Amino acid sequence: MRWSAFLLLFAWPGVAASATEARLHRAVNLNGPPLTIDGRAWEAGNDAKDVKTTGKTFENQKVRLKPPTDAARTQMIRSSVWGDKVDIEFSHVPDGPCQVVLYVWEDNHNERFSLLVNGVTTLADFESGTEGMWKRLGPWPAQSVNGRLVVTARAASHGAANLSGVELWAGDGPLPESHTGAFVETPGPEQTAFFENKIRPVLAEHCYECHSATAKKVKGGLVLDSRRGVMKGGDTGPAITPGDPDASLLIQAVRHLHEDTAMPPKKKLPPHVIAALEAWVRMGAPDPRLTDTVAVVQAKSAIDWSKAREWWSFRPLVSPALPPVQDKSWPANELDHFILAKIEAAGLKPAPEADAHAFIRRATYDLTGLPPTPQEVEAFAAAYIQHPESSIENLVERLLDSPRYGERWGRHWLDVVRYADTAGDNSDYPIPQMHRYRDWVIDAFNRDLPYDQFVRQQLAGDLLPDAKPDQVIATGYIANARRFGSRVDDYPQHLTIEDTLDNVGRAFLGLTINCTRCHDHKFDPITTQDYYALYGIFSSTRYPWPGIELDKKQRDLVPLVPRHQLDTAAKMMKDREIESSRLNKEVKRLETAIKEKKDDKNRLEAELAQAKAAAKQHAQKPLTFELAYAVAEGRKIGDVAVQQKGDPAKPGPVVRRHFLTVFGGQELPANDSSSGRLQLAAWIMARDNPLPPRVMANRLWLNHFGKGIVPTPNDFGKQGKPATHPELLDYLAAKFRDSGWSIKGMHRLIMLSRTYRMSTLRDEAALEADPANEWLSSFPRRRLDAESMRDTLLMLGGSLDLSPAGPHPFPPQNDWGFTQHKPFKAVYETNHRSVYLMTQRIQRHPYLAIFDGADPSTSTPARLSSTTPLQALYWLNDPLVHDQSRKLAERIVKSGSDDRTRIRQAYELLFARPPDAEEAAVAARFLVKAGGSLPQDEAWHSLVRVLFRLNEFVYLD
Amino acid sequence: MRSLVGASTLMPGLLSQLLAEDGNDPLAPKQPHFTAKASRVIFIFSNGGVSHMDTFDHKPELFKADGKMTGVGGGLSNQQRVLLKPGWQFRPGGQCGTLVSDLFPHLRELMDDICVIRSMKGDDNEHYNATLGLHTGSFFFSRPSIGSWISYGLGTTNSNLPSFVALAPQMPYAGTQIFNNDFLPAYHQGVRVIGGKQPVANLDRRTQQKGLQEMELEFADLLNNRHLRSRAGDSNLAARIRSFETAFHMQTEARDIFAIDQESDATLSLYGLKRGQTEGFGWQCLVARRMAERGVRFIELVDGSSSDNWDQHADMAEHAKHAKNIDQPVAGLLRDLNQRGMLQDTLVVWTTEFGRTPGVDGTKGRGHHSACFSSWMAGGGVKGGHVHGSTDEIGATVAEGKVHVHDFHATILHLLGFDHEKLTYRHGGRDFRLTDVFGNVVGELIA
Repeated sequence: MRWSAFLLLFAWPGVAASATEARLHRAVNLNGPPLTIDGRAWEAGNDAKDVKTTGKTFENQKVRLKPPTDAARTQMIRSSVWGDKVDIEFSHVPDGPCQVVLYVWEDNHNERFSLLVNGVTTLADFESGTEGMWKRLGPWPAQSVNGRLVVTARAASHGAANLSGVELWAGDGPLPESHTGAFVETPGPEQTAFFENKIRPVLAEHCYECHSATAKKVKGGLVLDSRRGVMKGGDTGPAITPGDPDASLLIQAVRHLHEDTAMPPKKKLPPHVIAALEAWVRMGAPDPRLTDTVAVVQAKSAIDWSKAREWWSFRPLVSPALPPVQDKSWPANELDHFILAKIEAAGLKPAPEADAHAFIRRATYDLTGLPPTPQEVEAFAAAYIQHPESSIENLVERLLDSPRYGERWGRHWLDVVRYADTAGDNSDYPIPQMHRYRDWVIDAFNRDLPYDQFVRQQLAGDLLPDAKPDQVIATGYIANARRFGSRVDDYPQHLTIEDTLDNVGRAFLGLTINCTRCHDHKFDPITTQDYYALYGIFSSTRYPWPGIELDKKQRDLVPLVPRHQLDTAAKMMKDREIESSRLNKEVKRLETAIKEKKDDKNRLEAELAQAKAAAKQHAQKPLTFELAYAVAEGRKIGDVAVQQKGDPAKPGPVVRRHFLTVFGGQELPANDSSSGRLQLAAWIMARDNPLPPRVMANRLWLNHFGKGIVPTPNDFGKQGKPATHPELLDYLAAKFRDSGWSIKGMHRLIMLSRTYRMSTLRDEAALEADPANEWLSSFPRRRLDAESMRDTLLMLGGSLDLSPAGPHPFPPQNDWGFTQHKPFKAVYETNHRSVYLMTQRIQRHPYLAIFDGADPSTSTPARLSSTTPLQALYWLNDPLVHDQSRKLAERIVKSGSDDRTRIRQAYELLFARPPDAEEAAVAARFLVKAGGSLPQDEAWHSLVRVLFRLNEFVYLD
Repeated sequence: MRSLVGASTLMPGLLSQLLAEDGNDPLAPKQPHFTAKASRVIFIFSNGGVSHMDTFDHKPELFKADGKMTGVGGGLSNQQRVLLKPGWQFRPGGQCGTLVSDLFPHLRELMDDICVIRSMKGDDNEHYNATLGLHTGSFFFSRPSIGSWISYGLGTTNSNLPSFVALAPQMPYAGTQIFNNDFLPAYHQGVRVIGGKQPVANLDRRTQQKGLQEMELEFADLLNNRHLRSRAGDSNLAARIRSFETAFHMQTEARDIFAIDQESDATLSLYGLKRGQTEGFGWQCLVARRMAERGVRFIELVDGSSSDNWDQHADMAEHAKHAKNIDQPVAGLLRDLNQRGMLQDTLVVWTTEFGRTPGVDGTKGRGHHSACFSSWMAGGGVKGGHVHGSTDEIGATVAEGKVHVHDFHATILHLLGFDHEKLTYRHGGRDFRLTDVFGNVVGELIA
């Protein structure tokens, strides 16, 4: 009754003005009984005359409607007809203009569909919203054709439009108001007075601080300083349901109904103020504030794209002119000009050249992660005296040809892509096939796969024309994304996709895209729309299932067979699965039978043993082909809706799959039915995208010099640090791009430079003027990384196994029963190189954790090199150090007849140089002193341990 | 042995000069943002989900409603289940009379020192995620542990010991992530102590001959200093030389921590320990006190493992066994800290990853319940004898004074003198903090 009271008090201007209101012709409750709604009679859908409806029926009267409405309408809404194509056909409709009103609702997840009247689209791409949301759509003007009028809903295949009721109005005049309420269009004088006296002061005093165009930071996307802001509402929907205070979020907030949305957050408003707000809502929220503050706020936060593209790393890549230098004799190649110019500008001089011994040790560790042998050192030192240039060229070529090169530089890439051999869910399931991707990366470096192909194959190798097995394996890059939790039905795939996008952004573009999952980027020109445009590409991609606690079996791996045999292979796997489940059922049946019946127990047990054996045999039967932990095109391909505040339960508008707007925002062509991964790779590697060459050139530089030209290799955005040598970076990047993306070519360019040849020595002037060595007036000394130290220990101890490492010795899959209570956890000892150590996503390898190994849960752009007592304890007491030292000591003792030659041998093995006279003398004295109480072998063992602990061993000059 | 490096005859004073000039020893003691109430933390984590209504949150209505009504319960779900009454009687403890169940008779006597929080709340009903969240503030992604944050913020006063130690004989849920430094530098990694004869990896000398290790170190020192002479100015080299000295002392000093035979019979019995015992929760508690004395900043005690813990889905009676295991040792630790005058600046925290459901799971168990649970704090500037917050009549939801895990963290940091919004670390283009973008200090807990 209170509604009609207000109707009398405040007539709606628009409504009252019309003389020829439309007249209700029919109202049909599409899947329910006759009802009275808005005081008008509704017919039951299933026996309404002259109405034919297609689609399936659905009813769930338990869903809470948002916003709530009266009982009869609620009942009508919560029963519906649905399908991907629903037609409601009226016949015997009188001639003349008419209007259609349609009730739709959503019982669970957002659906997207279009609505048509007589084949003409009246509403395209409607979003049904979250559970409980409903809308009264229309009125849409229409004309019957031969007495026929068809209302149609169309969704993509497998979509579902949910239609509850339809009203057909005769005439083209305005419709009488429905009690669902509406905002007052033009407030009358009393309404304005009410607003000015009772409402505006309250909003201004208690809300504007966070909810107005003048707020420092608008909270929840809601502004309450204009009519438009109130009507639009915030991130969680309209602030007000006109006429219905109970359903209005604003009123719920001021009533402090829910802790999380209580407003004002600190102190509840006095009851009379809340009552005034309620009255205002009942009136239809009359509001004279016509300035569009929503637009003001939007304009404030909108990105100025042309300005955004001026950021240094987004600017077009052009190879810069060589800067002039004073000392024209110093540069050995173009690169040196950029370095020397900065050194000279700082008033410094480049360091002298490193000696041959330091150089070969540096170059060999740099390209292979292992030390040079004494023979290699000797040969190089001799050649270097004769022909320094050609000896260096030959050395670099020899090292680039070594298979050890890929193991070293592949590891750098595995750091960036946060490689792991387990899935990262709560039980950390093993991925026995993951090593194929690891080996693919190593091999790609060894064969110098051009970087553009390297990127394309990892993102879309399976989609390349005539894809080869190794190109499918390359997509293990995407498949390796982290898994979360233990559950299956509500598995948080959005987090796995976030992990993918985070890595794609950092690895290839040097951008922190993942920041835009919940909000536009705070610093860089990337929007939430951009995020979900890319998200759609990966949600259209089928990731393999690694198994997790509540669904332990691997599935959706990709058979490594020629493309035309894929279907056959998939069927074989399916059949195998069916057979396996049949056999397991038989085991279960017999087990239950034994429990229940006791008489023929012996026979049952014999049968059970047989069934178990059969099941086991079946499970162990090898497939006739190998499997890759790789991705494929998804079962459901399409664009996705923005997830507001990163919450999948709060879908916003659907966005077409496209590339980042700042790079042009290229859209996936309309007729494209793929996930879009191949296009994504093409967009990323487009010639006019300057980021991939800049980012990769910087990574290559970083791993030669220990620090990047851009000190933040995964962040070329505003939060990153600027380049120390921007022109050098562009020179390298342009060279990289224009010379066919050859990584080995870049090694040559860098390693044949004068810059790379400098010694690590720093003079007083350099220490004074450039303590951090930003201008590279000498080569930066650096600590060996964890892998190089361990590999050297094994190599010098004669234990290093260089044969192919292959898969890890994981337990057989049939035995997997990992849970979060008993997660998979293992450390496999191996004498293979450290790049082949089994890496768990959520348990750090104990050795790698001590020595700053890569973080297996997120991209590691550069290794740290901390110095901790735990590392020293490792060198003092770890069994590996002691064992390999002993083995090396035994080798050395055997290698020479006297301690002088042995000491020389030890120095050459560990430090790639002979000892000087003083060093040889003190080492000999140490052997005598230690030998005083020890057998000779033990004394040597002790000496080798000492040498391994030295700074000279773990630091590269 | 200290002469080994400090007074090196080859380069007198160079090392210390280099290290002093460098000025960025990551573990040097640092001042927090404001005057701290506590200068170290002992963090006791009972793994598996301790039932609040059976321990620290008295629910008389739940006793009455046993089996008659339905409430939240069961497994991982929030479905309605028949209510299960608490299995133990509650009695008042101390002058303050805080009600505690018969599961913790020893702790109950100390309620005047303890501030119980009955309104804790987490975000996830899975052990793994709840455990991760409680340690890192992040329920899904790996982030630095609270101990690493505190090490990063405060450094250490004893450079011969790590700043953050996890006494974890068994691994809890989420594994090493709970004491991982993640993106913070490795100095702030929690060092795991497993107990037994080899409590820390590589702590025991592998060279048995007397004086041999000293001789090796002295020789290495000589060569390292010679190497350094021609590379003057490289503080990394100097720092690494010093790390060997520290490691050398750690072998002795850390061993000394574990030499609990030095303790009196009275002290051992306070913790319920027998002489010669090198395992058990009493051992963990006593070692924690000895570490606190020697300047370790953050000491975590892990109670239980991911497979044997307080997760009583089948039979709540099992709680008795787990409570008995920690009640006397923890009470002993509080008494011992108190009698040594250490409790006032040592914050002792006890918590679990979530509570349990008021509804029954199976026939006699309870399910996971992150909507509310109980924790407590003592010493270090918290209000003893106080109870903060409450749950509804059956312990299903927080009724007042909600303390979300982020608020819990913000309060701990506050007691150590930190503004939780300002203790940040730049990583991957963003300033990270323990409390992410959340957290309010709960002033009511602070004395």
